[in-house]
Amino acid sequence: MTEQPPRAVTRKVLHNLTKNTQPWLSCDDCFALLDEYFDRRLSDPGFVDVAMATHLDACPACAEEAASLQALLEADG
Amino acid sequence: MTPVGQGEFWRSPATTDAARDPEDWVVALSMDGPDHHHALRRLHGLLLRAARHQVSRMGTLLYDAGPDLADELTHQAADEAMVALLAKLHTFQGRSRFTTWAYKFGILQAATEVRSHAWRSRQVVLDDSHYTVDLGPSVEEYAESADLARAVRRAIDQTLTPHQRRIMLALLVDAVPIDVLAERLGTNRNALYKTLHDARVRVRADLTAAGYLRAATANGNEP
Repeated sequence: MTEQPPRAVTRKVLHNLTKNTQPWLSCDDCFALLDEYFDRRLSDPGFVDVAMATHLDACPACAEEAASLQALLEADG
Repeated sequence: MTPVGQGEFWRSPATTDAARDPEDWVVALSMDGPDHHHALRRLHGLLLRAARHQVSRMGTLLYDAGPDLADELTHQAADEAMVALLAKLHTFQGRSRFTTWAYKFGILQAATEVRSHAWRSRQVVLDDSHYTVDLGPSVEEYAESADLARAVRRAIDQTLTPHQRRIMLALLVDAVPIDVLAERLGTNRNALYKTLHDARVRVRADLTAAGYLRAATANGNEP
């Protein structure tokens, strides 16, 4: 049986592991607020939601879906 | 002509006023009658658009699949998003446009379908001890980096529970998508993100106490 190479905590992983994910926002909360967040940002590009921004920086799945929604809204004009 | 099933009549071609959105989506989707059927068709169109957009964005994950699979995943996602959205229709409070609210259901479902398909034949390793810390130092940074690597190893081994280590290693080192991991473990995205959040808090606290991380620094700070 072939032995798998050891998994490595690289500098990139460490950067990710030590992200400050406060203020807390869950994935469900993120999904619940996502539509309102982007509609507000479309009308006010300076609008900031720290908890949302923090979550999107730390959760790749939510970040991908958020970026997709933003692109779709921008395509709609 | 093949009759369209009662549960899927929104897939049939619209006969009247196909380009018009309902004035009040929630009312139209909640009431019986022609407006209800029209609203369902329009809604399914929105969800298909969102799902197609998402599947296209994640197309590289489906490199081994043809256009038929992408189309199948798109329609499957739109159908499942339709069910999820209608179950939550009562929660729509009008704080965003209805179309924006609807899009996110299609996007979430399509992203989940694509990730699940991309990982369908890949093994997810759940192990809490087999890993190394390799920070890849340059020559001049070697001593400092080796010191940090030992501190990181200690923080991970001594402050995290075995469950937190398993989840952290799967998500951050193996890059298993969080919804795929949730599906394999019979849990949900929320629970795994909370586990990872708690692990981050513990590792940050340990590295901060050891002087490798500044206290209360902004998000994304690197040790």
